[in-house]
Amino acid sequence: MNFNRRTLLRGSCQGALAVMGLPFLDCFLNSKGQAQTNGRPLPTRFNTFFWGCGLTASLWIPKKAGTDWDMTVQLKPLEPYRKKLNVFSGLRVPLDSKPNGQHWSGLAAANTGIAPFRSGEFESKTIDQQVAEVIGKGVRFRSVSASSSGDPRQSYSSLGGTNHLPSEPTPLSLYTRLFGPGFQDPTKGDWKPDPRTMIQKSVVSAVAEDRHRIMQKLGASDRARMDQYFTSVRQTELQMEAELQRPNIEAKVSIPDAPSADIVANNASPNLRVVTPLMARLGAIALATDQTRVFNLSVSSPQNAMFVPGDPLGFHQSTHEEPVDPKLGYQPRVHEYNVASMELFAAFLKELDAIQEGDGTLLDHSVVMAFTDQAYARIHSVDGLPILVAGGASGRLKTGYHIAGDNSAVSRVGLTLQKALGVSVDTWGKESLQVRSPYTELLA
Amino acid sequence: MQRLVRTFLSLILAISGGAIAVAAPSADHSYVVSLRRLTEQEYRNSIADVFGKEIEVRGSFEPTKRTGGLEATSTALLSVTPVGFESFNKMANDIATQVTAEKYRAKLPCAPKDAKAPHDVCAREILSHYGLLLFRRPLTAAELENRVGLARRMAERTNDFYAGVQYALSMLLQLPDFIFRTELATPSAGGKSGTLDAYSRATRLSFLMWNTTPDAELLRAAGSGELHTSAGLVRQVDRLMASPRLEAGMRAFFDDMLQMNTFDTVSKDSLLYPKWGSAMATSAREETMRTVIGLALHDNGDIRDLMTTRQTYIDRRLAMLYGVPFAFTGDWVKYEFPLESGRSGILTQISMLSMFSHPGRSSPTKRGVALREIFLCLPTPEPPNDVDFSAVNDPKNPIRTLREKLMAHNTNRTCAACHQMTDPIGLSLEGFDTIGGYRTTDNGEPIDVSANIQGKTFSGAQGLGQYLHDNPQYPACVARKLYSYSRGLKNSFVADFPDAYKAFQDSGFRLRALLKSIAVSDSFYAAGPPGNPSSNDSTKVEAQ
Repeated sequence: MNFNRRTLLRGSCQGALAVMGLPFLDCFLNSKGQAQTNGRPLPTRFNTFFWGCGLTASLWIPKKAGTDWDMTVQLKPLEPYRKKLNVFSGLRVPLDSKPNGQHWSGLAAANTGIAPFRSGEFESKTIDQQVAEVIGKGVRFRSVSASSSGDPRQSYSSLGGTNHLPSEPTPLSLYTRLFGPGFQDPTKGDWKPDPRTMIQKSVVSAVAEDRHRIMQKLGASDRARMDQYFTSVRQTELQMEAELQRPNIEAKVSIPDAPSADIVANNASPNLRVVTPLMARLGAIALATDQTRVFNLSVSSPQNAMFVPGDPLGFHQSTHEEPVDPKLGYQPRVHEYNVASMELFAAFLKELDAIQEGDGTLLDHSVVMAFTDQAYARIHSVDGLPILVAGGASGRLKTGYHIAGDNSAVSRVGLTLQKALGVSVDTWGKESLQVRSPYTELLA
Repeated sequence: MQRLVRTFLSLILAISGGAIAVAAPSADHSYVVSLRRLTEQEYRNSIADVFGKEIEVRGSFEPTKRTGGLEATSTALLSVTPVGFESFNKMANDIATQVTAEKYRAKLPCAPKDAKAPHDVCAREILSHYGLLLFRRPLTAAELENRVGLARRMAERTNDFYAGVQYALSMLLQLPDFIFRTELATPSAGGKSGTLDAYSRATRLSFLMWNTTPDAELLRAAGSGELHTSAGLVRQVDRLMASPRLEAGMRAFFDDMLQMNTFDTVSKDSLLYPKWGSAMATSAREETMRTVIGLALHDNGDIRDLMTTRQTYIDRRLAMLYGVPFAFTGDWVKYEFPLESGRSGILTQISMLSMFSHPGRSSPTKRGVALREIFLCLPTPEPPNDVDFSAVNDPKNPIRTLREKLMAHNTNRTCAACHQMTDPIGLSLEGFDTIGGYRTTDNGEPIDVSANIQGKTFSGAQGLGQYLHDNPQYPACVARKLYSYSRGLKNSFVADFPDAYKAFQDSGFRLRALLKSIAVSDSFYAAGPPGNPSSNDSTKVEAQ
């Protein structure tokens, strides 16, 4: 029998049994005291943006380094945000003895600081999860991921191993998770916690107490799986706890109506141009209303299947089959897909920058890491992997720089961002990707 | 069915004088051989069978991940992420709310005198009834009392008996005992091996045969020890196989083996192929399922004929794409392609042809890689990183047809090693475009569909169909996948179940013969020794 006094107390409020209605509500509001009032510093958010198959080196890398860098043809869509952007070129991705897993090793290295053994697996928590552990406490969702090409498997967010946190595959599913059942609108004056959440939370606590029973009789690998299971149980418990408290928000936003179920999310570029901004807007509103502080948006799989109607090849296949134009010196169709990818990134930044809060915009209070899997997709090379970072981390990250090829390992970007986000970390990554020194010139 | 379980439970209750007297698993030396996360369909089917079809399952499921050719294998490797549990939690609350709602209450095994107060006896009856069905084994006495206690406390808190039951049921639905199929084994006398316990046998059988949770009769046979006798086992296997529900089980297997979930992410270029719509994928998937089930199950045909048959089932949409007049009433109709159609079995159905193609173009390589993996259990390695297409794409030497492009691979020895195996398969299917339509020219050039694999020469899809039909690796691969699927293994060799494979061969490759001899063999229920409980023998992983 595991059902004891402790469980009972968990389902109660300051020792008194919480039944429905007002006394329970009061007790929650009181217990947080100051936390419910405005004036608290705004949280800093972390976002990732993933697109597959990279860019074309001769067309995206600015010639000049520093703040006076020259705009390039492939970064052009990001022009409106150049003062809020950092561009990293010439990053190395040393894989040591690990294989160069096509369309995987590069993104895993940027995302974990560890070169992976196996394609499709991460050797550790991904950076968004490492950051979420620090900045994501006390809000409803530790992280939220979405795939604008409509595939829940397109997620580069993981607690390590084979399991990836699935992405929401449609605008409606993203909307439902964020603003469907369980959501109390903090932009409205009549916010009050749902008493059922309290009871449901005590049921989840009861589930958690079965952990010991479940763990018996298991071999090592199944123990690890059940460990992850109960970690997930715990996160749902914390989510419910968070749902009982009114989030502190500064932004003047309102929750939109649910998007239509008929919106098609797939790899056709006209659809991506509709779905990406829509998902970005929903993510931005979730960040502004403090439903989550970590939002991941991917627009493709690593083998980027984006296609312009009428092009029988599409992005990924073009990188391998389109000849390098001898006069231009690059693959012209691939270039168009590269630019289209940056336009989608710009669409994401636009939504973040459109929301005013406090002394700036949501983007100013965020860090967005845009990353990819290949430096030169045609030959699957990873050295020179493009990484773009937007947002000033509430003033802790200087922006507007082009950090040019200084031979740093790609993990140096991840370390710098974690420092800017207040993650206490001295080294990051493993083997040749292990780094100790962040880009101090970027840290304010 | 629910009534049967109820009778069975009251029997146990009568014998034990009110308390469930089933040995607690923790009191013995049993050990977990495998934990398999329910697939979406298994979850949905289980809920429908346990609570009735009127209970709706609303929510999303985390994806599985094809491993060694099967999604089923990944269920023995994946856990539940926070996003996945969040969804399980919501679904559990929603299902439990429906089950305790006013209109459902008459179906519950008992009712309390006062719906506003706790009632342990009735709560116990409800929870032991559903606990058995959800966990596929009786709850232990301690487990049951714990859940009854939860129901009592919640009923007190809310002044509502049914709310108490609702939360206790919700808890059962959130436990790994339900969300995972737990396979428990008991060690043999020497401790060097083990064998699945009765409820785990029932579970493995039921999910294999019916793709759902064991029914009352199967649970009864497990509880009474019948499943441990060969006569009892054969009786249950025969019963499961005689049921029309066998179709659901075999559909689930073939859907996995034929990688039909590839359709989830297939998009076609609407400019180049305006006939394609997302509904087309649904029809194409159903066509293939009907063909496979019709031939292998209903007609008890030779599974090799799936490569060559011209019989199929079409609806209006497919008729349009195949260019066949659909002058019938009803949704689906059996149809036989004429010989000159060039069609050959499921190889030339829209499903196979469109899933393994680009949005706007067919891909002999994609088709070749997929068909080798699906039908011959031969995976193809990744191409080299610096794959060089310069010969293919040299603008000075324009290559008109896809065949010429691919043949350029043979100028490079590294490429040739794989492309010599994959491309002939795909090139013989070039008479069909990316959405499965028949064609005779590509880029204005007539299409050459001749092929040569390891000295065997054939032409077109019908030649490929015959080549696969006569290739002993094909039925061996089907057997191997069925065996791996049923056990959640990463890989299996035909040598692991020689008797079942021989029965399959002797029957002229009848699916039922294979299925039955797998299910009634002792080795199917054998487990590794305790302490090394993973049934996924790692030494065999790399072979696939």
